[in-house]
Amino acid sequence: MVAVTPDDLVIRNATYRRFMELGRAPTPGDVAAVTGQGAEAVSEAWHRLHDAHALVLDDDGGNRMANPFSAVETPHRVQAAGRTWYANCGWDAFGIGVALRTDSTIRTTCPDCAESIELEVRGYRPTDPSPVFHVLVPAHDWWSDIGFT
Amino acid sequence: MLVFRSEDHVDRWLAGRPRGAIVPITTVAELAEAWWWDRLDPDWRPHTREQNQTILDRLGLTGEFWQLG
Repeated sequence: MVAVTPDDLVIRNATYRRFMELGRAPTPGDVAAVTGQGAEAVSEAWHRLHDAHALVLDDDGGNRMANPFSAVETPHRVQAAGRTWYANCGWDAFGIGVALRTDSTIRTTCPDCAESIELEVRGYRPTDPSPVFHVLVPAHDWWSDIGFT
Repeated sequence: MLVFRSEDHVDRWLAGRPRGAIVPITTVAELAEAWWWDRLDPDWRPHTREQNQTILDRLGLTGEFWQLG
């Protein structure tokens, strides 16, 4: 895994901050506007951060994940802090309320029966403990294909 | 990493494929709290592999399946 430089961390932290402010994944220009660096420098830093697993880019170099937040719609929808967010997976869905330090409501669907599952999360714990969580990929391979994981 | 209504639903969805790991949803919530707590901190630094492995170990997520790469 690639080491992250202090300058890259400035870009990373600004990327997350802009994601929260905009309620969507920022473009390199959105981040450049607050860091004073050019959009090209932001893109270059994003690629290093991607290689370091500090965020995830799509094939075009756009921001695909600022984990636990997803830049695209997914089956894991989270209502928190007055907005609807998308999580990358069921685990990340809990992470959004945690990262925002607030209660949340998770709406997802059971992959087996397609029935909706709604979880109220209070104090970072679900009020209904009956659903279960299945992890298909061993931890060693999580980053081999993070989209699939 | 998906949420199912019950273990029966997991097995039906797997349709004979081997299970990965079943985790109580409350454990996932604890895991998320430890893993993502600092994600928006202005002075965030990447977790080391050892830090993350310690989180998994503390929640009883141990054994070969839970060994990070």
